[in-house]
Formats: sequence, structure tokens, C-alpha cells
Amino acid sequence: MSRYCEKSAALMYSYLDQEMTVIRRIRIRMHLHRCPPCADGFHFETRLKDRIRTGCHDEPPAELYDRLRTFLQQHGASGESR
Amino acid sequence: MRTPGGGVPLANQATFEADVMEFVPQLYSAALRMTRNPSDAEDVLQESLLKAFRGYGTFKAGTNLKAWLYRILTNTFINKYRKTARRPAEVELGALEDLYLFKRIGSDLGGATRSAEEEALDLFVDQDIKRAVEDLPESFRIPVILADVEGFSYKEIAAIMDVPIGTVMSRLHRGRKALQRALWRTAEERGLTEPGA
Repeated sequence: MSRYCEKSAALMYSYLDQEMTVIRRIRIRMHLHRCPPCADGFHFETRLKDRIRTGCHDEPPAELYDRLRTFLQQHGASGESR
Repeated sequence: MRTPGGGVPLANQATFEADVMEFVPQLYSAALRMTRNPSDAEDVLQESLLKAFRGYGTFKAGTNLKAWLYRILTNTFINKYRKTARRPAEVELGALEDLYLFKRIGSDLGGATRSAEEEALDLFVDQDIKRAVEDLPESFRIPVILADVEGFSYKEIAAIMDVPIGTVMSRLHRGRKALQRALWRTAEERGLTEPGA
């Protein structure tokens, strides 16, 4: 594990979240290109992040929309909760 | 905007339903992850939408409606359900290593190849993912939901949670690692780590 590997690992989340400068991004991409183990780790984390997103969706109960509309009609206009 | 050089146009309360209702499914999912049960989730969502409705006249049209709604949702949840008011912000999560799940799947499942590791991720069902997120302590769970599920930027999350960006980063990064530990525990419990499972 080189110091580039360590540096990339430390910046991994900022890279995956697209929260870094273009220059830094290019540097990391160059390292990943040269270092398959790091590239695999980054790839896995990308997939995992995606899996978290797809795994966290729930369909609201169909009646929820009606309940919300009714609630807003009853309480929304008055400016006060009943 | 229709007011060149003028003030920022305000949202029209009459269009509230048309503008906001499309966010209900994702707001409901987020509320469910926060509260961990459907009836509390509905309460939080209802109260949040009422606040949003009443404040909609002051919302600046053209700015980030989704972030504004999540800020209301997050604050409503925290005010309503924070168990102990003076809880320390940083709960101890213990030592957390980088690539926790990747390393274990790599060695325990013999996943020497990229595809084997990816297949291992498919062993988790949605319920495993939800439970792992919901088991995170609140101060880590919220940034994980906002970043990984909702796709907000660090800056947006900082504004939603009213904490500095550095705090968002540290909680999000630690929360993700703790989430991996929880997923690995699930994999072990369910015997997904057995060879040939």
C-alpha cells in the first residue's frame, strides 16, 4: 500500500460524493487507473452507496394523500392548530 | 424569474399542493427512516407539511424547494422525538476502518473478483438496508439519509441540519462505516458469509 493508496482512501468519500476540486479528482482517477485494488474498493463503495439509496424507498399508504390534504384544509388556513 | 432586477418572487401558497405533493413519497420514506415506525412517520410528515404550508408564502420561488422541505422535516423530527434534550452530539461508534465491508466480503466470501463482491451486495434485501440505516444513532443516521438516499450535497446538509460542513463530513463518513459494520453483522447472522450460501 503506497502513500497514494492511503491518500486516496482518506479522500474516497469526498471523491464519491463529488465534493472535491477537479484537479484533485483527476489525481485520484490517475491513481485508480494505476492501482486495481484501490479501484475495486472505490467501485464497491459506489455500488454500496447506490444500494443504500435503492433499498430505502417505501411506498406511502394510498390513503395518506387524502389524510394529508384533509389535514391541511382543516388546519392550514387558520394559522392555528385546532 | 419574472422580476428582472426586482425582488425575489415568493412562492404562491395556492400552488402548494401542486409543488409539494410530488415530494411526499420521498419525505415519507425519510420520515420512516428517522422515526422507525409508520405512525410516527406520518405524524412528522403531517406536521412538517403544515409548517411548510404556512411558511410557503415566505419561501423564495426558484430556490431549493427540496432542501427547504427536508430542513423542515429534519427539524420537526428532532424537536418532536429527540429523546434526551442534552444528548451529546457525538455518540461513540468505536474504531471504524475504511472499506470495512469490502475487505470482509473479499476475504470471507473469497470474492477475489469485482463481480463476486458486487454479487455479495445483492444478497442484502431492502429490509436489511433499512434496518442497518435505522440502527444508526440519530446524529449519524440523518446525514446518511440526506446524502446517500436523498443525494444532498455536504453544503445542503449543513444548512438542513444547521451544523458546520466539517461536522457533516465527519458524521456522514463515520455513519457510513458503522452502516457497513451493521450490514456485515446481518450477513453473518443470516449465514450469508458461509461458503456456498
